[in-house]
Amino acid sequence: MSAFRAVAATFTAFTVAALGACRSSGYDATPLPKASASATASPSASAATPAVTCANAVQSYTPPSAVPTNLSGYPTVDKIRTRGRLIVGGSATSMLLAARNPISGQIEGFDVDLARQVAKAIFGDPDKIERRVVTTADRIPVLQDGSVDLVISAMTMTCDRWQQVAFSAEYYRAGQKVLVPLGSKATSLDDLGGQRVCAPGGSTSLDKLKTFPDVKFVTAATHTGCLVKFQQGEADAITGDDTVLAGLAAQDPYAKVVGDAFTSEPYGIGVPAGSKDLVRYVNAVLAKTISDGAWKASYNHWLAPALGPAPTPPTPVYGR
Amino acid sequence: VTQTVTAPAHVAPPGRMARFRDSALEASRGTPGRMRLVSAGLVILCLLLGLAGEQAFRATRGSLDRAAANAAQVVRLGELQISLVSADADATNAFLVGGLEPAEQRAHYDAAAQRAAELVAQAARAQPADVQALAALNTAIQAYTGQIELARANNRQGLPVGAQYLRNASSGLRTDALPLLESLTAANQQRVQTEFTHARQAWIALTGVGLLALAGLVLASIWLARRTHRYLNLPLVGAGVVILVTLIAGAVGLLTLGGSVGSVRDGPYTDVQALSEARVEAFDAKANESLTLISRGSGAAFEKAWQVSSATTTRLVEPYPVIKTQWAEYVSAHRAIRALDDSGRWDRAVAAATSRADNSANAKFDAFDDSTSRALTQSAAATDRDLQSAGAWLSLATWLAVAAGLLASLLSWWGLAQRLEEYR
Repeated sequence: MSAFRAVAATFTAFTVAALGACRSSGYDATPLPKASASATASPSASAATPAVTCANAVQSYTPPSAVPTNLSGYPTVDKIRTRGRLIVGGSATSMLLAARNPISGQIEGFDVDLARQVAKAIFGDPDKIERRVVTTADRIPVLQDGSVDLVISAMTMTCDRWQQVAFSAEYYRAGQKVLVPLGSKATSLDDLGGQRVCAPGGSTSLDKLKTFPDVKFVTAATHTGCLVKFQQGEADAITGDDTVLAGLAAQDPYAKVVGDAFTSEPYGIGVPAGSKDLVRYVNAVLAKTISDGAWKASYNHWLAPALGPAPTPPTPVYGR
Repeated sequence: VTQTVTAPAHVAPPGRMARFRDSALEASRGTPGRMRLVSAGLVILCLLLGLAGEQAFRATRGSLDRAAANAAQVVRLGELQISLVSADADATNAFLVGGLEPAEQRAHYDAAAQRAAELVAQAARAQPADVQALAALNTAIQAYTGQIELARANNRQGLPVGAQYLRNASSGLRTDALPLLESLTAANQQRVQTEFTHARQAWIALTGVGLLALAGLVLASIWLARRTHRYLNLPLVGAGVVILVTLIAGAVGLLTLGGSVGSVRDGPYTDVQALSEARVEAFDAKANESLTLISRGSGAAFEKAWQVSSATTTRLVEPYPVIKTQWAEYVSAHRAIRALDDSGRWDRAVAAATSRADNSANAKFDAFDDSTSRALTQSAAATDRDLQSAGAWLSLATWLAVAAGLLASLLSWWGLAQRLEEYR
């Protein structure tokens, strides 16, 4: 009897084993990678830090009466001359200020002309420049880590930034405006409640934009990144300095810059905080560039078609 | 010996099912009844053994075919990734030089983008489980090519915003498309390994099932011997021999096959994986070389990515002396480009990086491309060929297993029928 049971049990086990051998050949669907949290995280979009008070953000170090030829008191400038080239950080996409000409491949504009003036003073050759392309948010970090000598990139002089870097005397006075689509009736940020407005991370334009709570802000690495978002329907408007916006509007016939400037943006050349000698040297070059008419010629070449004829250059404030 | 079961008069006449059950009960009463059950059990047991053998051989055949198909998919996905990355390198290089992109470079980009589209379609047909991921990949590729066209349109009009479209396209490719491809490649590599494991373990299932059948036969013989006091039943012994031969031949055949599969896995398929990955990493490094230059001083992240990819390629091509040398030559050409850029001679670095002259970085990279491509094609063909030849006998074995099962069950039935005769 037990043998009979054993036969039956064997039979059952066999059936189970045989069924188990019939394996399905279907695979699970290939998993999709998890979406990254945010693809466009701006590196250091400073969250509206409280304003540091200083007597005067446009006040810089006093230059000598003429551009010095003997560099004995200017160790930083001497080092640059020994190296054989001036390393300048800036944009490659800000049309009119500093943009790569797609046809020639050269970076050119109002800010670039200024860098050429400094190189010409140091080397007698305006071409002895190594350009480093930096994003808006990286302008201060590259000065702090000493990877560039100067940043000439539509950089607003503020008391906050004086804590981290030094500035030359003011070389241009811009103002913040908005760029909107051709048919829009808006003329200021007040008219753009509920709309998405783009500004680059780490810019004073973004800090100002954040003070309008009704407006949704969108960030990009540069203003040209904002133009792409504007053209692809990810932003309804762009805010920035009139100089920068003029360069964007020049690339898009369906965009216009509207209204009056609602901020005052004094531009300075950014210099590493410790290099006061370089600041004084650059200020001397700047004074010469303004006095010999080179400043006006450059302005008229780049900015006058968009912003009107050259205004009076800013009066430098020294004595810091 | 037989008993008649009569239904009580007051009960309605039994239905067909009840009558069948009754006759089955009647047939299983007593020793002859049990013999009939044992006979039926053995017949089914032997038939199932045949089926199990057929299953084992057919499943192994299937595993080998699927392993080969999945290995081909791994190669296809590698080529797809290379097409995308090299299209991107073409587009980036064109912007690096400035002006309109050279017609030759544009044609190369178009060919690479077209090849990528074809490979997506082929990959989707080859593996239905990949369709969802490939659909997502297709979307990412369309977004990429769309942005590149916008970059071109703007560049054509001399607008700097074109370069921004290029940058967005390139970074979109890296954040959206490449992770999908990595996930696809990993899934298919896993599938190859799974099939290799199945093919290598098929002998275990066959042996287990065969031993169970043998045990059933032995137990039935013992039971029969006790009941009938006859110790030798020739047909049952014959059935046992058939089962034993099937078991041993099948297990040995499958074990040998497992060994062959192991050599494919450790031989040509290892080459396929190494070369495919080395090519993907090398092309990615090449694209990062251009992206470092186009970033002009702020491309440290791209150069870091170059170093990671280059180190992986160097490690992977270690066993191939010719390829190893070719890669080392490209690496030194790249170092020269970096030295130029790092010392402020960006224009000369760009000229060196975009030159197509003999001994240029591009020429050295092309040499690496050619020999890895040829070696990969050979290894992929060897993988396919070796897997096919390892399983060439499986189709015949499938039919033999069925025949052995039928023969064993016939012998079992005959053996018990001889004893049942004695009860008539």
